[in-house]
Amino acid sequence: MQDTGKNIIIAGVGGQGILLFSNLLSKYYMKLGYELKISDVIGLGQRGGGVESHFRYSNKPVLSPFIKAGDVDYLLSFEQTETLRYLHCLKDDGIVFSSTFELSTSSVNTRLEKDMPESKTELIKKSGKKTFIVDPDENKSSDFDISKMMNIVMLAFYAEFRGYSHEEMIQIVKESVPGKFVEGNIKAYEKGISIARAKLA
Amino acid sequence: MKKENKITTLKMMNGNEAVARGAFEAGVKVASGFPGTPSTEVMDYTQQRYPDIYCEWSTNEKVGLEVAIGASFAGYRSLAVMKTVGLHVAADALGGAAGSQINGGLVLVVGDDVGRIAGDDYNDVRHYGNMFNIPVLEPSDSQEAKDLMVRAFEISEEYSTPVILKITSVICKTTSSVAIDENYTYEVKCRKKYPVSFSKVIMTTMMMNAKGSEHPKLIKCFQDFPAQMKRLAADSNNFGINKLELKGKKIGVITAGTPYFYTKEVLPDASILKLGMVMPLPEKLIRELAEHVEQLYVIEDGHDIMEKNIKDLGISVIGKELFPKFPEMTRFTPDIIEEKLVPNAPKRTPMEGIPFRLPVSCAGCSHLFISQILRNHKIKAASDVTCGLIGCFPHMEAYQLQKCMGSSIALAHGFNVATDHKEKFVGMIGDGGFWATGINGLMNLIFNDSQSTTIIVDNSCLAMTGGQHVASSEFGFNYKPENKLEIAKVCEAIGVKDIVTVDAYEFENLEKAILNAVKANTNSVVIVEKPCVTKFKLPKGDAYSIDQDLCTQCRKCIKIGCLAIESKKGKDGKVEIVINEDLCVGCGLCSTACKFDAIKS
Ligand SMILES: Cc1ncc(C[n+]2csc(CCOP(=O)(O)OP(=O)(O)O)c2C)c(N)n1
Ligand code: SF4
Ligand code: SF4
Ligand code: SF4
Repeated sequence: MQDTGKNIIIAGVGGQGILLFSNLLSKYYMKLGYELKISDVIGLGQRGGGVESHFRYSNKPVLSPFIKAGDVDYLLSFEQTETLRYLHCLKDDGIVFSSTFELSTSSVNTRLEKDMPESKTELIKKSGKKTFIVDPDENKSSDFDISKMMNIVMLAFYAEFRGYSHEEMIQIVKESVPGKFVEGNIKAYEKGISIARAKLA
Repeated sequence: MKKENKITTLKMMNGNEAVARGAFEAGVKVASGFPGTPSTEVMDYTQQRYPDIYCEWSTNEKVGLEVAIGASFAGYRSLAVMKTVGLHVAADALGGAAGSQINGGLVLVVGDDVGRIAGDDYNDVRHYGNMFNIPVLEPSDSQEAKDLMVRAFEISEEYSTPVILKITSVICKTTSSVAIDENYTYEVKCRKKYPVSFSKVIMTTMMMNAKGSEHPKLIKCFQDFPAQMKRLAADSNNFGINKLELKGKKIGVITAGTPYFYTKEVLPDASILKLGMVMPLPEKLIRELAEHVEQLYVIEDGHDIMEKNIKDLGISVIGKELFPKFPEMTRFTPDIIEEKLVPNAPKRTPMEGIPFRLPVSCAGCSHLFISQILRNHKIKAASDVTCGLIGCFPHMEAYQLQKCMGSSIALAHGFNVATDHKEKFVGMIGDGGFWATGINGLMNLIFNDSQSTTIIVDNSCLAMTGGQHVASSEFGFNYKPENKLEIAKVCEAIGVKDIVTVDAYEFENLEKAILNAVKANTNSVVIVEKPCVTKFKLPKGDAYSIDQDLCTQCRKCIKIGCLAIESKKGKDGKVEIVINEDLCVGCGLCSTACKFDAIKS
């Protein structure tokens, strides 16, 4: 059946390249002729705050810039506390792609709040949704810094999962990132494909 | 406008970008204003993409709007951009322009921070439409943001009035496609219709039929602005930007902005009146919808302004009794509409106990040094609206008072005169806040014989809004080295008795300077220099690290508020206080806070 469109939430913290991720993905869908609305919600300042992007593509005009809770097909998250924040937004058959990276929150650091007692990775796995977990520590590489390029790794993972053309995606990456970063980005992309192939096998 | 070889293409743009494109297509000559989330980028895009348009960041919003009013009187289309709190500053200027004769179209692009994305108090710019009797337009997506920008100038000129284009954080940060003509050539518009233009003060004299008011020289500047607005209201029933979509008879919704799309998505069968101009209202269209449906609702972000205006027409409509306003609700989402108007809609609630992210400063920020010293010495202080206000949050507790932009100097002075200067209350202010309006507070405290101390944080930009230039920056749209203002020289000229300039990273000197200033029996200014680490991408020093054998987990270092210092739970569940070496810039501040010598470079 032809894909009529999807609702995606991309989440993480400032500095993880969420806006670049949605920019790259939007170019792919534009090439396929979809209509798009991408709405970014950026927390207070660029300093370690939460970032959330509502990404909608459709073969009909997209109406609301925000996705209703319960209407999300895919949650792609680069930080696991943020993954938890949006789990309830997923459809019953919605799918989670989450990094195990965690940036401790200032309120926990300063003991204004207690951290959650359970492991966040376990909470995600127990959510009852189909879940793909990527652990940056297990996938370190000398070719690129995975802590900075989880966005590209996840892009490749998502593309592999959806059966999209990696060739075209890499072309988009090449056209969009500054020249000196292209090589590292492609390495990160290739790593993402291999992680995805292992997990999806 | 060369129309011959029009090439229409679709471009993805966010709302800010689209407004800038609209300004270009409207033939705007002058753009001025002051940064503020969410609308700052309107100016950035205008300046970067359309070099034909004169752009300036003014010292504050009032000045910015006055510049635009002057340009408009000269005959040129001009725009002033600001956030809604900024319009509070510029309101006096707007009151002067409203009701007066307009030559070149005058449009205020004002950003409402719905949903409190930047944490400001919840405002609604449309109040100014009611207060000053001027039109307010509101787009629902990027395409409309561009189109309404052009339309706003036409309305401004046709009805001789300033026009407000209300944009919101959702519009500004949502990207969608906009049809543009690639071959569009910029053509500046100029219209000199009225040789004079005075504020309503003079015209009221005429309306009251005061003696001598019929003098031809006065009549020349008279414009019956209430009549203009009535004409606009009547005409607006036929405006294409106000769309009546008659469908089902059960539910009718009057809406505007992005809530229009939420409504369409959640209530596909509802009849909708979608307003591109939210003020004045198209009464005929509203009555037509009211007659068509069983129940009429108004769905609007922000305050209950359309609702009240509709009710004033004698039309009954359901609004805030069903959809409570701030603080119960900060902005509409499709979920809220569904919950209230769709029977048996499933309810989804977020997981409980997920920790909250309080804002933290960038690693190496000069503000952290100041907060640390104030706290160490229990010096009471007011923070201005700056990146440094993070020091007000409960995890830092460095400041006791914080109000609006530019206020801290006068706040401290007020505290000090009330307490007979027994306990010196200090005002901390950024360079931007200082030039914006803080400088007035400083002049005021000098000639009123105050002994207050002011700390001016010279980081060469408006950091909190992303690093725009200020009068004392060494860069900027219209920058020339010979025009750069010097904070110290201006303070001296104003008459400050005791002025010291220190580098923020020289911790001991800074500490001494602040303590001396506070002790002095005179007014004093401490200028703390260090370019914003993030804006100017300062070179990093070697990262610091924490020796876990020495660390007692007292968390004193966390209290300084540096983004690089984290408390981390390892896989074994053990907590460690660590420094993130990717983020640490090696400023050394944390090592001054550790009594156990656990932090080393
Ligand atoms: C009246 C008003 N205008 C604009 C803003 C938006 N705003 C918040 S902080 C800020 C910049 C502050 O710059 P500065 O005073 O130099 O302090 P810094 O952040 O650089 O430390 C601006 C423009 C506001 N809050 N209020
Ligand atoms: S942006 Fe600049 S002034 Fe603001 S917290 Fe970061 S370093 Fe400090
Ligand atoms: S201040 Fe020193 S002892 Fe206290 S938590 Fe920090 S590193 Fe550990
Ligand atoms: S030296 Fe300490 S205070 Fe300075 S950036 Fe590094 S961790 Fe933060």
